[in-house]
Amino acid sequence: MDHRPQAWGRPRDDVYGAYDASYLQTSGPKTATQSPVVTGTSVIAIKFRDGVVMAADNLASYGSLARFTDVKRLRPFLSTSVVGFGGDVSDMQFLDRHLTELAIDESYEHEHSENPAKSQLNAANLHKYLSKLMYRRRNDFDPLWNQILVAGFDSSSKPFLASVDLRGTTFTSPSLASGFGAMLAQPIMRRYAATEEDAARLSREEAVNVVKECMKVLFYRDARSLDRYSIAVVTKDGVELSEDEQLEKQSWAFAERIRGYGTQTV
Amino acid sequence: MAMFSQNPLVNGPNYSISDMPRVNAPEGAREHRFDPYTDNGGSTLAIAGADFTVMAGDTRLTSGYSINSRHHPKLFKIGGTTADQKDATIVLSVVGFAADGEALKERLDAICKMYRYRHGKPMSVKACAQRLSTILYQKRFFPYYAYAILGGLDEEGKGAVYSYDPVGSYEREQCRAGGAAASLIMPFLDNQVNFKNQYIPHSGEGHALLERERRPLARHEVETLVKDAFDGAVERHIEVGDGLQMMIITKEGIEEVLLPLKKD
Amino acid sequence: MTSIGTGYDLANSIFSPDGRNFQVEYAVKAVENGGTSIGIRCKDGVVLAVEKIVTSKLLKPNANKRIATVDRHLGVVYSGMIPDGRHFIDRARDEARAWRDTFKTPISTADLASRMGGYMQAYTLYQSVRPFGITAIIGGFDSTDEPRVDGEVGTGPSCGAGGKVAGKTHGGPFLYMIEPSGLYWGYYGAATGKGRQAAKAELEKLDLGGPGGPSLTLEEAVKEAARIIYVAHDDSKDKEFELEMTWISGPDGPTKGLHQEVPKALREEAERLAKKAQEDDEDDEEEDVEGKEKMEE
Repeated sequence: MDHRPQAWGRPRDDVYGAYDASYLQTSGPKTATQSPVVTGTSVIAIKFRDGVVMAADNLASYGSLARFTDVKRLRPFLSTSVVGFGGDVSDMQFLDRHLTELAIDESYEHEHSENPAKSQLNAANLHKYLSKLMYRRRNDFDPLWNQILVAGFDSSSKPFLASVDLRGTTFTSPSLASGFGAMLAQPIMRRYAATEEDAARLSREEAVNVVKECMKVLFYRDARSLDRYSIAVVTKDGVELSEDEQLEKQSWAFAERIRGYGTQTV
Repeated sequence: MAMFSQNPLVNGPNYSISDMPRVNAPEGAREHRFDPYTDNGGSTLAIAGADFTVMAGDTRLTSGYSINSRHHPKLFKIGGTTADQKDATIVLSVVGFAADGEALKERLDAICKMYRYRHGKPMSVKACAQRLSTILYQKRFFPYYAYAILGGLDEEGKGAVYSYDPVGSYEREQCRAGGAAASLIMPFLDNQVNFKNQYIPHSGEGHALLERERRPLARHEVETLVKDAFDGAVERHIEVGDGLQMMIITKEGIEEVLLPLKKD
Repeated sequence: MTSIGTGYDLANSIFSPDGRNFQVEYAVKAVENGGTSIGIRCKDGVVLAVEKIVTSKLLKPNANKRIATVDRHLGVVYSGMIPDGRHFIDRARDEARAWRDTFKTPISTADLASRMGGYMQAYTLYQSVRPFGITAIIGGFDSTDEPRVDGEVGTGPSCGAGGKVAGKTHGGPFLYMIEPSGLYWGYYGAATGKGRQAAKAELEKLDLGGPGGPSLTLEEAVKEAARIIYVAHDDSKDKEFELEMTWISGPDGPTKGLHQEVPKALREEAERLAKKAQEDDEDDEEEDVEGKEKMEE
C-alpha cells in the first residue's frame, strides 16, 4: 500500500494499474469552439420613425431539447442601445460580461466630458466595436458563435440597426432578422419597410405590431422557438425592454389543413 | 482551389453557396467545423477611359439564398482626410467575403492616410496598387477572400484600373469585372471595350479581316456600358441586383451615382 | 510636536515608544489641509459633496472633477492629496472589476470599503512607502433587488431549492469613510478635510440615525449637503470655491441605482438656498451685535 498523502483518494495502482497520462492531452492543438451547444434562435428588428423595435424569444435549446425557457437574449447597453443575440448562449454570456465591463469603463471617461450624452458610445460605435471583436475571433479560429443585431442611434441621431455574425460579416437594412427569421420574418417586415423612407414613415405602434406578428409566425413554423419572448423599443428617451411577453391571439386552425408530412398522405 | 476561381464550380451549383455543410468525411460521417469564409455574392466592374475611370458595383449582400441587405456598398473612396472621404483620389472595390473586404478596405485606407499625412500629398494609384498587392500577399496562407479592383488616375491623368486576385497578383488593365457575375460581364467588356472579335467588313480575304481599331471610349458610352452590363448580370445571376453604385473618377474629383436594379 | 527630533517619525515601519505611527499622523495633517468632503446616507440614497478650492483663475469652471465613479453604483470622494486620491480611485476600480470577474456580480459597498481599507493599511507597514495623504468617503447603493449576475440568462426558480425567500430585503444605501491608517467605519454622515469640525456639527443635527432609519430624503440631503459645504467653507482664508455633488438612489429613484452627478438645476437651487441660509445667519448675528450695543448704551 502506498501511504503517501499524494496517493490518497486515488485509484490504487496495484488494482487499476498506473494512470494513463496520455488522456490528459498535454500536447496537440488547442481546441476552440467548433460548434454551438446551447443555442438561441431568431432575433428580429425593424426601424421606425423615432427608433427601432427588436424582439427575440426566451428559449435556449440544447439541440432539439427546449432546455432553458427563461433566457433573456436582448441586452440594453448604456440605456441607449440594445443588443440582440442569436446562436450560442455561453458566447452570449461572455459578450454580455464584456459589454458590462466596457460600459463601466466608458462611464469613467464621461465624468470628464462636457456633454456626456454626446460622448457616450452610440449604437453605431458599439456595432463597430462588436464587429471588430467578432472578426478578430474568426481570424483566431476561435469564433464567438453568434449572430448579433445592434439597435439604437448613430452619430447623427438617426435610428440605427445593423448585424454582425460569427465571421465578422456586417450589414444594415431597415429591417433585419437572424436565423430562421431571415426566411420567415424578413419578408413580412420588408412589406412594411422595404426602404429607409418606408421605415421613416412607420409609427411606433405599427412597428411593434409587425414585430409581434412576426414572432407569431416564427412560433408557428420554427420548431426551436417559444411563445414567451422579449421585446425592446429604443427611442431617444431610452430603452423600454419587457422580458416576459406572451404571444397573443394564436390560431392553430391552419394546422389541420396541412397535408403531406410523415405518414399522413392525404 | 475552387474557392479562388472566378468560374463556377465544376461539380457544384452554379451559384456560390459555400456555407452548406459538406459531406466529405469517410463512411458518410459528418464533420461540422468552423469555416471562416462565406461568399456574399455581388459583382463589380471597372473601366478606364482617356481621362477618367468608372468603377461600379451592385449593392446586394447575400449569404446562400438569403438577401442580407439591399444596400451594402462595394465601392470605397480611399485615403481621404475626412470622415466623408471628400478629398479622396482613389476608389477600391471589393467582392467576395464581405468581412474580409471590409477589413481590407480599412487597412488600405489607414495606410493611404498615413502616407498622406507623412508626405503631404495623396498616394499615386501606382504606389497604392503595389501596396495593396503587398497587403494581400501578407496573408498568403490565410487569404483575404476578396477580389479587389483599384481605380484612379495615373501620373499623366489617364484612367487607371488595377485588378487583383485574393493573394495579391495584380495587373493594370483597361477594364475588369469581378465577383459572382464576372464570367458573365467580362466577355461583354472584351467585345465592347477592347473590341475583341470585331472586324472591319470587307477588309480582307475570307477570315483574314482587319481588327476594328481600338479607341478610348467617351464617358457617356462607358456609363451606358456599365448599366447594360449590370442589367444583363441581374437577369442571369441570383446574387446580383437591388442597386447599382457607380463612382466616376476625374481630375475634378469623384462623382457618385446610385441607380436602381431589379430586386428579384 | 513631540515626535520632532526623536527619530520615530522618519519611517513608516517604526512605532514610537508610546505606540504611535507618526507617519500616519502626518498623513492626517495632509488631509486636514484639503478641501472639505462630506457624505450623507439618507432614506433613499447617498449624497457625496466636495468643496473645490479654486486655486487659479486659469482653471476651467466645472471641469477637473473630484468625485469619481468606481462601479455603476459606487462613488468616491476624498480630501487631501489629490494624486493619492487618483491612485486610490484607480485601485478601487480594479477591485470592483476583479470582484465582477470572480463573482459575476457587483461589489457591495461594504466589500469595497473592506478591500480599500486593507489596501490603505498596507501602506502603513513598510519602510519603502508612505501612507496615503487622503481620507476617502465611499458611497454606494447596493441593489435592493436580487443582486444581478453578469451574463445571467434567466431569473431562476420562483420557489423551492434556489428559490426566493418571501419578504427578504437586500441592499440599500451605504456610506463608509477610510482614514490614512486604513481605519474605516460605516457612517450615517461623514465629513473630512479642512472644514470637518463644522461639517460634523451640522451633520449631527440632521436625522440620519434613529431606530426607524433616516427620515431625510435624497433631495433634502442634496440641499443639506450644499448648505453644510457652505457653512464649512472658511471665507477668510480661501476666497472662492466650487461645489461638486453626486448622488446615488435606489432603482426607483432619480438615478436608478447609478452613481451620477447631481443635475445642474438641482445643484444650483441647493446652492441658492445654501447662500440664502448663510446670509440669514449673518443678518441674525448683526442684529445680535446691534442689540448688545443698544444694551451698553
